[in-house]
Amino acid sequence: MSLAPCHHCGEDVPKNLNIQSEIDNQVVDFCCYGCQAIAEFIKGADLSNYYQHRTEKAESAQDKFNSENKFNLIKDNELYPLYVFVDEQTHHIQISLKGMTCAACAWLIETRLKQLDGVTSIHINLSTSLATLEWQPHLIDIINIAKEIQYLGYQASPYRADQTDLDIKKAKKTSIIRLGIAGVGMMQVMMSAIAIYAGDMQGMQQSFKSLLSWASFVFATPVVIYSAFPFFKAALRDLKTRHFTMDLPVSLGIGLAYVSSIYSMLSGTGHVYFDSVTMFTFFLLLGRFLEEAARHKSHANNRNQQELSSAWRILNGELTEVPLSKITKGDTILIKSGQSIPVDGIIIKGSTSIDESSLTGEYLPIIKTTGQHVVAQTINVDQNIEIKVTAIGKQTRAAAIERLTDRALSEKPKIAKIADNVAHYFVILVLICASLTYIGWSLLGSDEAYWIMISVLVVTCPCALSLATPVALTSATNKLKDLGLLVTRGHVIESLAKCQHIVFDKTGTLTHGQFDIHSVQSNNQSLCLDIATALESESIHPIAKAFNQESDLNVTKLVNHTGLGVEGKIDNNFYRLGNINFVSKWSTPDLQSFDSDFAGLTLFLAEKKQGVIGIIYLQDRLRPHSLETIKDLRDNNLKVSLLTGDTLESANSVLNSNSFDHFKCQMSPEQKWQWLNTQNQSSNILMVGDGLNDVPSLAGANTSIAMAGSSDLAKIHADAVLINSHIQTINLAIQLAKKCQRVIKQNLFWAASYNTIMLPAAIMGFVPAWAAAIGMALSSLLVALNASRLSK
Amino acid sequence: MESLYLLIPIAALFVFIAVGIFTWAVKKDQFEDLDREGQRILFEEDDNDNSK
Repeated sequence: MSLAPCHHCGEDVPKNLNIQSEIDNQVVDFCCYGCQAIAEFIKGADLSNYYQHRTEKAESAQDKFNSENKFNLIKDNELYPLYVFVDEQTHHIQISLKGMTCAACAWLIETRLKQLDGVTSIHINLSTSLATLEWQPHLIDIINIAKEIQYLGYQASPYRADQTDLDIKKAKKTSIIRLGIAGVGMMQVMMSAIAIYAGDMQGMQQSFKSLLSWASFVFATPVVIYSAFPFFKAALRDLKTRHFTMDLPVSLGIGLAYVSSIYSMLSGTGHVYFDSVTMFTFFLLLGRFLEEAARHKSHANNRNQQELSSAWRILNGELTEVPLSKITKGDTILIKSGQSIPVDGIIIKGSTSIDESSLTGEYLPIIKTTGQHVVAQTINVDQNIEIKVTAIGKQTRAAAIERLTDRALSEKPKIAKIADNVAHYFVILVLICASLTYIGWSLLGSDEAYWIMISVLVVTCPCALSLATPVALTSATNKLKDLGLLVTRGHVIESLAKCQHIVFDKTGTLTHGQFDIHSVQSNNQSLCLDIATALESESIHPIAKAFNQESDLNVTKLVNHTGLGVEGKIDNNFYRLGNINFVSKWSTPDLQSFDSDFAGLTLFLAEKKQGVIGIIYLQDRLRPHSLETIKDLRDNNLKVSLLTGDTLESANSVLNSNSFDHFKCQMSPEQKWQWLNTQNQSSNILMVGDGLNDVPSLAGANTSIAMAGSSDLAKIHADAVLINSHIQTINLAIQLAKKCQRVIKQNLFWAASYNTIMLPAAIMGFVPAWAAAIGMALSSLLVALNASRLSK
Repeated sequence: MESLYLLIPIAALFVFIAVGIFTWAVKKDQFEDLDREGQRILFEEDDNDNSK
């Protein structure tokens, strides 16, 4: 497989696929027609610079999304003012964008939209994935703007800030200010500190020393009071709950060092520690800020807009499109073919096949007819149906999965963080030592008792100890992001390293979750494929995705037979493509000639007079490197299991059960979660999944990873998102997590041994204050340098 | 050396002004997009090339 990856999205190009274009005087390959169309469009708009500037590959264009619908809906008189701000001729709107991977994407969209007549201004914020657009509706329709964005390969939907977004925005601003003040304060205090240290060595008048101390005090005060506020707040919470985390020793260190520095400054004795206090605060805040930024980014990528869905309601024989919020139980609504079903209901007219893959993982649609139930979040594939609404919103089965998820989250086994475990005992130990030292020296009648106690506290200051974990985690998190895994929860790296058992979902995770042509059996293979492609060209059935090429043949009289196949007329010949029952009405195929053991889907192509002219074998395609990754993981002594909602035959068609420790089929979302719970007791589990049916398990597993193409809910509840969809990244991530764990342990060991060696010396009064301060700074530096090895 | 008594307070004043401006900038949404602004300069060059 030495094929070049897709020029647009970087995915592997499937074998035997020949989609090429000339871009920048070079012939390049594409993985699908969607990617090719985007690249051609970008070239046509004279924006090929995008490919030189981008630092990340684009998302694959294989998933179709309809931006137009969403923008059509806001034209509703009630909704329009909620989304659009009207200023005479110019209208303003915020658009949420999906699919942006780097700064070049933002540039691409901005530059393209600016070329359009009627677009007054466009500004894209990459961090929040939001675009602010001003346009003149009499010159250009907003729907056309949305279409342009879609041609470029991005998904657009109207956006309106909800309370969470506003809260996040406010919190982010506060943390930037806190960080900024700590940074500036740290630099100023450092300058004074260097002068003070130099003065200590070379001799300096007390008056100047006092001036410099005062200057340090002035700069350090905002840092302690404002920037370090979150630590104090958390420490207070720890005291209330009686469970000590690292926040308590951190606050204690900052608070005591600050207070004693003030005392020393006023009394002119002892040493000031303002420099250590500010530096320590700054580094801790920086780690926290980066972690928060990653989490907010994943939130921005996962906004979903419930209120922008609509339904066709049938009332007194009249058909009207109304926003979903107006539908009530008992209404009759029309579900067009290809539409996602927004509510639970019973079919009262028509029969169709329903794609329930989001709920069950089974990607072959299920045939349903009058009287049968359909559930929300599934997709109507073939025919228009009318349903009577039985449940809406929170009562639907899909919402029940969300509730199950909340429960799973609350019962999630907690991975104890090493540092917090240490912190609990550390705090108690330090406090006992410090007070004993003070009492001891006071009893001996020493004037220096207080300063010796401060030395003890500074020496044992948990700087290195509390930095040991965050610096390592920050640098590992950044490295993971480069590898293609976006970590959104703080515990991921520790729990990945401890993971012993990896559970995969099948459809959409290990496989692409759609049919692909496996082989064709015919006298004239290319003609056979051409006809099949033409027949499937109008269909939205999952099978049609296998034929995602373009055909020159002109089809008329296309008829879709639910559960059987399609029929159409090409050049005065009637053709049928479908299952064996469908074509045997014309002629019985020779059963000897086809591979009846094929573990996938077999389609027959027949002509009315000639009979069967071709057989096409379809199969779900494994993602590249899936099998190698499973093997590598097992070679590393990890258990690997498969949990799928699919049938055993379907699972066996692409995967061999021998490659797994457990191979569980036909599992409902509840069963998946229950099964995980029984396994959770014996080992640490990593769950990798994508669909709605995986959500409770994702929420309930020790660690969970959602695929890039997952349902929004899955991404929200997963601990990390695999943004490049490359399965082998999981193995790399586990290796890196283990390495990170080693670095954390080295750091903790160093910090702890430093503290234990220095502690007795400090208790005896051998460590002068300045030496304690320098030692502390050096040990922190060492810890940070050790952690930086991870990002290489 | 006595000039320090004047210079340090002046330096402090400048720092506080700088922090004030920084805070104002954050509140005015200047720090909304931390991922992109650093790279913008690379793209603007091209815009000029195209317009020539």
